[in-house]
Amino acid sequence: MNVRSQVAMVFHLDKCIGCHTCSIACKNIWTDRKGAEYMWWNNVETKPGTGYPTAWEDQEKYNGGWEAQNGDLRLKSTSKTKTVFNIFHHPHVPTMDDYYEPWTYDYQHLFNAPEGADQPTARPLSMVTGELINIKAGPNWDDDLGGSPVYAENDPNLKGLDAAQREQLSAIERLVFFYFPRICNHCLNPACVASCPSGALYKRGEDGIVLLDQNRCRGWRSCVAACPYKKTFFNWFTGKSEKCILCFPRLETGQAPACFHSCVGRIRYLGVLLYDAERLERVAKLPLEELIEAQRSMILDPFDPEVIAAARANGIHDSVIASAQKSPVYKFVKVWKIALPPHIEFRTLPMLFYVPPMAPVMARKENGSVHNISEDLFHDIDDARVPMKFLANLFGGGHEGKVRYALRKQKAVRWYRRSLTVGDVDAETADRMLHEADCTREEAEAIYRLTSLCTFDERFVIPPMHREEAIEMMADPLEHKQNVGFGFLTGPRRGL
Amino acid sequence: MKEPVGRRKRIGICCGVLLAAACRAWGQEPADFFRENCTSCHTIGGGRLTGPDLKGVQDRKEREWLVRFLSNPQAMLDSGDPYAQKLQQEARGVVMPAISGMNRNRAESLLNLIAAESKLEKSQFIGLQITDRPFTSAEIAQGKTVFLGIQHLVKGGPSCVSCHTARDLGGLGGGKLGPDLTLVFERLEGRKQLAAWLTAPPGPTMSPIFKRHALQSEEILPLVAFLEDEAKKGGEDQSAAPLTFLLLGLGGAAFSLVMFDSAWKARFRAVRKPLVLSSTHRGEE
Repeated sequence: MNVRSQVAMVFHLDKCIGCHTCSIACKNIWTDRKGAEYMWWNNVETKPGTGYPTAWEDQEKYNGGWEAQNGDLRLKSTSKTKTVFNIFHHPHVPTMDDYYEPWTYDYQHLFNAPEGADQPTARPLSMVTGELINIKAGPNWDDDLGGSPVYAENDPNLKGLDAAQREQLSAIERLVFFYFPRICNHCLNPACVASCPSGALYKRGEDGIVLLDQNRCRGWRSCVAACPYKKTFFNWFTGKSEKCILCFPRLETGQAPACFHSCVGRIRYLGVLLYDAERLERVAKLPLEELIEAQRSMILDPFDPEVIAAARANGIHDSVIASAQKSPVYKFVKVWKIALPPHIEFRTLPMLFYVPPMAPVMARKENGSVHNISEDLFHDIDDARVPMKFLANLFGGGHEGKVRYALRKQKAVRWYRRSLTVGDVDAETADRMLHEADCTREEAEAIYRLTSLCTFDERFVIPPMHREEAIEMMADPLEHKQNVGFGFLTGPRRGL
Repeated sequence: MKEPVGRRKRIGICCGVLLAAACRAWGQEPADFFRENCTSCHTIGGGRLTGPDLKGVQDRKEREWLVRFLSNPQAMLDSGDPYAQKLQQEARGVVMPAISGMNRNRAESLLNLIAAESKLEKSQFIGLQITDRPFTSAEIAQGKTVFLGIQHLVKGGPSCVSCHTARDLGGLGGGKLGPDLTLVFERLEGRKQLAAWLTAPPGPTMSPIFKRHALQSEEILPLVAFLEDEAKKGGEDQSAAPLTFLLLGLGGAAFSLVMFDSAWKARFRAVRKPLVLSSTHRGEE
């Protein structure tokens, strides 16, 4: 057992209202710079939709992530040999058009325009060239199903849906969508780190945050191509790549990352997970249908004395272990099993998990009256407007089982609470549903509390970062002791 | 912490290197110097090449004049010296070049060497005695292989074709850095001069290379045979080489573009634009 700690995340999609506050908070802090205008380390997508960059989930086009072949794990976009031939021009990097050309407006024109018959307008200016442009696309161009005949209909997650299901998705009165906020997943098996020819990317030992060393980066852009989530970006001004840093300067000072902190729907949870790094390579190669369960099994029980001892032996501080025991992420992912990794088929083992959405309403209209109880209590999970297959493509690696389990449990909790507060569901039905959904009253109560009544400190259980200890992994703090002192890193060229 | 190499020490090392170089120059035998710098135009007792035979030169002109001439031939000419002008006429206008590394001491030692060699019955600088008989076609053919570098030069020098061209070499011809050698036999006026040139090529480009990788007599003979044959056939290389070169270049560029395209066939092109195009044209069919 090789116990490591990782700051992991849960996004509760049932609570996301798609307000983009997270994106703006992130942009204001980190990417409001020249060369970074087009970057959205955090973005919110509408599903069905193609997202940002356009159709990023289609790895037949983007070639991101890993593939398991003959018991071997290979990057799709590059290899040691391919790096030699593609070093000066990577063939799988998205074009600017697939992100969008960032723009601002020529506001001065409102004041300086010569007098004329028409109102002057603020015309869009490219933030790359400074020229006037016609805006063709934006980072949330397909927001709320905007332009859905182009974008929503081409969502890669519609693969495997039959024509009737596809038609239903866009039929009037059945129209449905939900939101899918995304940041870097800080994966356990990051493709970006593996692909970098300069070794500029690394996964921080103490908390698993994936970072990109700006001094080492040579701008080869392998990471941009390799990340299947397209969450590393090339800064055209500095000539280096950048990515989400999970606001580590905020985490180190005990604050939640900006996008978490600002989340209006309070959909975001953050906490430490302990995992067994020894099993990593074996797990990443497993057949698709076993992947979710295997990743879950890598996450260790922070109450298990054996795990605690192994964690201590690996230099994980007691306070971090204590934090892991309070982690909301551990509960959602491992205890309740209702949070699932996005696109596990990319085999990067993401450490950001999603609670699949219950949208829309669970009632069903029959002969003009609304029915919400039938013999099969969970019928509407499969009859929901969002086809199960679609959610399975997103969160189940194409397999519906885990997604159905998560949705059934969520529905059972709702009905249990309804029996308590509204009273239109009798306790017996509620208990039967809990039982069928593999849930107990206590668990349902806990899920309810952490979903609906969670406080700031319950959502964000930030471990003490112990930088003073973490730094010892990279450098000896006593390196310069009894050396030259007084701020000299290299000795002066005089004296003895 | 101290500097690994002090300034004083560094200066010492520099001086040492310079001194060593100087010693080497001084230590070079006058005979070696003569072989490297003089033999392409002069012999001692082997008859006239471009320059006069130097046998007994010390009897033809006083020593002081010879030393001055050696030090700077062009200056002597410019001063209007009648004997120097006579020499130039005899050499059909060729002026003896100033030899690098020439100075008074060296000139003295060279003159001593020439005097000593002149007394010998057969000087070592009699020059390559090349035959007068017509060359065989085998020799000409061998010359071509030497020229083309198919037969490597014994001392490891670069083959002629890397800088020079001649007629009918095939392919794209030879290099364009040096002059076309088709008519070099005529320009140097004969076997003897050409052979002498090849023994110690004096040009500023060739001499530094062939000083250390001299051509051997068994290479010079076939080369002379080949070049004589070239000159006798007449006419410089007037083939359509530039056009062939251009066409080959264009063809090669097109070919490599096609190769690149097929090697990177699966490259990322665009996603959004084709998506938008396909849906805007959907209703038109």
